[in-house]
Amino acid sequence: MPSYELVLVVQPTMEEEPLNALVDKITQTISDLKGQVHQVDAWGKRRLAYSIMRYREGFYFLIQAEMPASAVRGLERSLKLMEDVLRYLVVRQVVEPAPAKAETAVQ
Amino acid sequence: MVKETEQREPSARPRRGPPSSQDGQREPRRRFGHRPTRKGCAFCAGKVVSIDYKKADMLHNYVSERGKILPRRATGVCARHQRELALAIKRARHLALLPYTAESRRG
Repeated sequence: MPSYELVLVVQPTMEEEPLNALVDKITQTISDLKGQVHQVDAWGKRRLAYSIMRYREGFYFLIQAEMPASAVRGLERSLKLMEDVLRYLVVRQVVEPAPAKAETAVQ
Repeated sequence: MVKETEQREPSARPRRGPPSSQDGQREPRRRFGHRPTRKGCAFCAGKVVSIDYKKADMLHNYVSERGKILPRRATGVCARHQRELALAIKRARHLALLPYTAESRRG
């Protein structure tokens, strides 16, 4: 299963509780699609470089997860339907090239 | 016959337009604050495999004041990393980490 990075921008007027509920809902969606969430990283409230839907700030979240490639479309579809999510980006994580030194160690 | 071992001066980047008559007398106009000496690619030096779109502060150095992506002749980045850089800037713009244009000022 490939690893993915999901960054989302949530509208800034949300309270702590619905915000956590939203993140839980997204992680739930990923696991429903047979994915595995590794890390949820909240960046907090940040100023947007330009206004989106009249908002000048947004809550940023970075979610690192593993999921089958076929799940990405379904995840993006459900993100699109969440009105509190201003922006999202799902990017496949680059696989680090395996260190070549390991071969020389074994002789 | 002895071959000339003398090092040739690195020739300047060919400039468009008619050759100026007072060549060498006036400083050539430089856009993008580019320096005449070639510096190596900053990403190759740092052994960066892929450029992170989340490092908005770093990407800020590679856009102009108006938010445009700087050309390679101004950034001094190698071709491969310039491609990655452009992609990272575009991703960052989507997430409102970087502006698409300079903020418009309305009176």
